[in-house]
Amino acid sequence: MSNQEIALEIRNVTKRFGSLIAVDDVSFEIERGEFFSLLGPSGSGKTTILRMIGGLLTPDQGHVFLHGKDITFDPPEKRDVNIVFQNYALFPHLNVYENVAFGPRRRHWPDDKIRKEVTHLLEMVHLAGYEEKYPRQLSGGEKQRIALIRALITRPQLLLLDEPLGALDLKIRQSLQLELMDIQDETGITFIYVTHDQSEALTMADRIAVMDKGHILQIGDPKSIYEQPHNRFVAHFIGNTNLLEGKVASVAGGDVRIRTPRLGEFQGRGLDGASVQTGQPVTMSVRPEKMHITRQEPERPGYNKIAGVVEDLIYVGVSTEFIVRVAPGQTLRIFAQNMSRDDDLWQITWDDPVWVYWRPEHSLIITE
Amino acid sequence: MTTASLARQKKGGRHFKHAFFRYLGLTLNIFPPFIYLLLFFYVPMGIMFVMSFWKSGFMTLEPAFTLDNYIRFFTTPIYIRAMINTFVIATGSMVALILVGYPIAYFLARYAPKWENLIIYLLIIPVEINFLVRIFAWKIALGRSGIINSALLNLGIIDEPLKFLLYSKTAVVIVMLHEWLPYVVIPIYLALKGVGPEIIEAARTLGSGKWSVFRHVLLPLSVPGLFASFVLVYIPMLGEFAVPALVGGPSAYMLGNVIESQFLSAGNWGLGSAIGFVLLAVTLVLVAGVIKVAGVEELM
Repeated sequence: MSNQEIALEIRNVTKRFGSLIAVDDVSFEIERGEFFSLLGPSGSGKTTILRMIGGLLTPDQGHVFLHGKDITFDPPEKRDVNIVFQNYALFPHLNVYENVAFGPRRRHWPDDKIRKEVTHLLEMVHLAGYEEKYPRQLSGGEKQRIALIRALITRPQLLLLDEPLGALDLKIRQSLQLELMDIQDETGITFIYVTHDQSEALTMADRIAVMDKGHILQIGDPKSIYEQPHNRFVAHFIGNTNLLEGKVASVAGGDVRIRTPRLGEFQGRGLDGASVQTGQPVTMSVRPEKMHITRQEPERPGYNKIAGVVEDLIYVGVSTEFIVRVAPGQTLRIFAQNMSRDDDLWQITWDDPVWVYWRPEHSLIITE
Repeated sequence: MTTASLARQKKGGRHFKHAFFRYLGLTLNIFPPFIYLLLFFYVPMGIMFVMSFWKSGFMTLEPAFTLDNYIRFFTTPIYIRAMINTFVIATGSMVALILVGYPIAYFLARYAPKWENLIIYLLIIPVEINFLVRIFAWKIALGRSGIINSALLNLGIIDEPLKFLLYSKTAVVIVMLHEWLPYVVIPIYLALKGVGPEIIEAARTLGSGKWSVFRHVLLPLSVPGLFASFVLVYIPMLGEFAVPALVGGPSAYMLGNVIESQFLSAGNWGLGSAIGFVLLAVTLVLVAGVIKVAGVEELM
């Protein structure tokens, strides 16, 4: 990381709208060529950050640096930063060619250079021959590809994408996700991708910043965000998880034993580098795919286990999701892959008494 | 013939019957307004068109087929003068209307989210006042001892009253500006209002400064509004006669005044009709031109 060039730095940025603090003292850095995702629910402040980077909003406090230069108060047209908007924002009075050529024309590129670049980019997104069409004649996916190359043609130092695939249906979204990743790879342009869709962020991003209520809760690569969430919000927002509340009963290195009021004691592991004290209230997070379900009491020493009753089961083709009631009003979710018809799993049905068990290594102890 | 095709034919017959009654229903619906238009618009127009080819003089009309009325119009300097006046005044007013109306529409659409409704309301109120009352009010304001001249005299800006303020082309343009302003502002305002903020933001991030956004995005996108206001305003202005009659004086004599005088004082209905049709022809050519350039769907 140290020998990498920093493309963008956000330093102590705050933005208020009236009494609402949309972004609260946020700082982070993005490396050159990185595919960075700002992930959070709506209202978490991710779009506000994006607009401040793009120059469409000015921070109340703090600074934005692009390749070391303070651009906090530069107007959008003076920044080497382009934006791809969720609703495409194509110019309705211009055809595809002129839409893509809009940026180059403002920079007074010669005509033959514009022609060459537009043609090349249209081929790249498989829309060669669309030059004369108008935005109203395009489908959503086509519009977004045009909006993307319109923003890419001037090779900005930074490309901001504001939920660009949000309005598209699943199949097109998935194919465009791959296309976007290829394009980012090919051009080497730094991407900041704003989304509320955690699977999109996990699929595409090199690093993810999870946001809530104007704060960045955690920054990391998809694997660490998923496997080592620093707090309950991140654990819950990224994927599904089972949260068990309790107090620390004993600590031995990274191994933490917790005592829950109703479900007994479980063995778990603390976050890398984090420390907990005996008696401290904590939460244990266990991903549903890491839990196993069986009819007989499992004979696996060292595993955490708990008895319950199947409240619901949802068959989704590749897997089955079990909702198991372990105490009145408390359920666990378990994903089990549908591997074989001979499996014990196939016999389990509604209201069956079952056992749920999982490894202590998969039980993450979260303090926040 | 198989049963299947028989059935299909029967079904087709039912469709035809259904379509026929639907069509009949629609026809009956538009029948009363159609009769009204026919009797009170198309028939009189037809009569006037025929009349424009008749031999015509003071209080006389003789059925014939002659181009005399048209020839007389195009060879009489005072009528040609009136035609030139008509286009000079209407075009001048249109230019003034756009110069005044466009900035108002632009401001309303872009910078006045809180005051939008109030300003539009204020703009529309004068339209509710009787048209003649407004013209007379202007007559008082623009006169030799009217409010404008007395104010300028008292401030010492001028030494004697400005004569061109009343009974001139300027007076007609000023009054028409007042009369038609809302019809210019509102279509342009609506066109500009329809440009989403993200379109402007996209242009900004792609390297457009504020002037460039106007020149390359907002101005082209407001063209449909400009065309709509042109059709709404320029064409009625060509046929204007009350304003020039009351504040224009002889130097601002327009075709509308010529037509009016041919019917009401000169008693030459044939010539009046012929001039009316010349004006209509010019107007239709203009509308066709606008539609060709702008496209009909853009005007809708």
